[in-house]
Amino acid sequence: MISVKNLSHSYSEDEKYAVKNISFEVAKGETFGFLGPSGAGKSTTQGVLTGLLKLQDGEVSVAGYDIRKVQNERFNKIGVSFEQSNVYGKLTARENLEYYAKLFDVPTRDPMELIRLIGLEGKENVRAGEFSKGMKHRLTFARSMLNNPELWFLDEPTTGLDPAIAETIKDIIREETAEGTTSFLTTHNMFLADALCDRVAFIIDGEIKLIDSPKNLKLQYGQKLVDIEYLANGKIVKETLKTVDEQERKCIGEIVNNYEIRTMHTKEATLEEIFIQVTGRELIYNETVK
Amino acid sequence: MKLLSSYLKEMKIAARGFYFYIEIGMAVLLLAILLLVISETSISSSKQFVYNDMPNKIAKYIKDQSIKDGDARLADSTEFKLKPAKFEITNQETVETTAYAFDDEKIIELETMEMLDSDSGELEETVYYVETEEDMIRLAYGESEIGATAAMNPRGKVSYTYYLQGYETDRLESLLYISHSKSPGVINAKKDRQVVRTLGVAETLNNRQNLVPLFIAYLGSLMGFFIVLSYIFYDKAEGVIKAFAVTPSSIWKYLISKIFVILTTVVVSSSIITIPVMGGQPNYLLFYLFLLVTTFALASLGLFVASFFDTIAKAFGVMYGIMITLMLPGFSYYIPSFDPLWLRFFPTYPILQGFKDILLNGDVGYVLTYALVFLAGGLALFFLADMRFKKTLTV
Repeated sequence: MISVKNLSHSYSEDEKYAVKNISFEVAKGETFGFLGPSGAGKSTTQGVLTGLLKLQDGEVSVAGYDIRKVQNERFNKIGVSFEQSNVYGKLTARENLEYYAKLFDVPTRDPMELIRLIGLEGKENVRAGEFSKGMKHRLTFARSMLNNPELWFLDEPTTGLDPAIAETIKDIIREETAEGTTSFLTTHNMFLADALCDRVAFIIDGEIKLIDSPKNLKLQYGQKLVDIEYLANGKIVKETLKTVDEQERKCIGEIVNNYEIRTMHTKEATLEEIFIQVTGRELIYNETVK
Repeated sequence: MKLLSSYLKEMKIAARGFYFYIEIGMAVLLLAILLLVISETSISSSKQFVYNDMPNKIAKYIKDQSIKDGDARLADSTEFKLKPAKFEITNQETVETTAYAFDDEKIIELETMEMLDSDSGELEETVYYVETEEDMIRLAYGESEIGATAAMNPRGKVSYTYYLQGYETDRLESLLYISHSKSPGVINAKKDRQVVRTLGVAETLNNRQNLVPLFIAYLGSLMGFFIVLSYIFYDKAEGVIKAFAVTPSSIWKYLISKIFVILTTVVVSSSIITIPVMGGQPNYLLFYLFLLVTTFALASLGLFVASFFDTIAKAFGVMYGIMITLMLPGFSYYIPSFDPLWLRFFPTYPILQGFKDILLNGDVGYVLTYALVFLAGGLALFFLADMRFKKTLTV
């Protein structure tokens, strides 16, 4: 669905690259996470893929279209949910969706259905200018679904949302991908990527450091641990043991056989820990809940 | 269909914003000024302070003769306050400079006479007779008006010495020379011997109608330019241009829908002013055609300018400069003596002249030629703006 070969982009059109010689492919139906800290090149890559930025170097094909050629009809297959909400403040939620729906050449979804889906029912006739940041963000997200996109660009889809709404948005993304939508998720939220993505790419300083599935990354980079809490001579003892170390594995067996186990949990490395391990850089993000 | 949706959406947004109402409110206000404040006939007349350096009997005879001929009438005497002043006067013939300094302050009452147009009987000039030459010079300086000393020359004829402010045009100075180079009797005798052939009846706009082209040009061109910029920057602040850019619709449809809103607003506001003042006199087909193409051209210029800036604050300097530039031809329209060649290249110059011609049912060829020029220029600017917007949509 997406094919990127040797993509480079410089805003100043010189050697200062925001994105440098990156290549990757996204298969149909896949949810691909593009992960990195602010300024890593995520939005630049998405800008080129969506046509908002001109392709300077490399070859890019999106939804079967070569993006060097200007073909507006490709947007009938594409949906874009922006990080910064961008809706008409003077139009109501419903008017916003109805207007954008008329710009597509393909059958579109009922605006009211989408308004219900994102939890804005009852607010459909309220002007978007009166919405909170989170409500505007949800409306921007709903707009990206109007044309039932085959390829869905999601830029920080849960930023600024409270946990319950963020969970609803995650469920919607899961449902859409289950129905065959290909998603390109740009985020610095590793928990979101872990929960939704089939594969992730770590991008830093405009270069992709690694591409793999979260599961493989955890297997490859994660240090398997077990937290055990047991009763020994009337006292509660807590221990963390490595499952990859033979000596400690034997120790786990002895505890299980000889003592009363109160709690026992396996512990995996998080995607964020793996990112730090691979890139040597931390992901800094602040989610504003409103 | 997409264009219609965009246009209807823009109209809805405009109706919920304040720029639309500013334009309409401005038109209503200007109409009220035209109908309630500006009279159809000109009430402007010049003042002149005159010192008669001649025997009182002769001065009285000249005044009485003017009243008898219907060229003047006596008015109530007028009070003037003379304030302390310091100034110099240069004689144009000898280039000698004389310094004047007055420290006192006094109030004087002057005999006042109203000079009338011999044909229409309308007030042309108010003449105040001052008793001393010094007071006359002081009044001419203090009131910024023309002063004159009328004296009898050795041949027994009246000669005039004028005191001008220094900024009068050559045309006015020549007129003063001509009007006194021959005695009125000789000029009238020459006039009587002239054969006059009328080539056509020259129509003119009355005082009120004469303001309509100026108001229409400013409401259409200037406001069109300014409001389209405001709309674009409002959308840039909301980020909705980017959202439009990822739909199958073209950017030019987005841009033209903005211009259509401007055109709709301008047609409404211009009609509010023009129809009540002009009635059925002008060719309205030509009027609306010219209004639409000129507004389209200036709104396209606004789009082009908007494509270079992110915010209205950054564009303010350029925007202000262009608006001042577009206003300049208005001075020429009202001060015919200020008509330099370079001013004719400013777009509002032919716009003003074009509207004047339309309201006078004048030169259709001139109007149509400039309508074509504005259409071509507007299309070129619109094309450039479209190219710029496609290139400058950033993430």
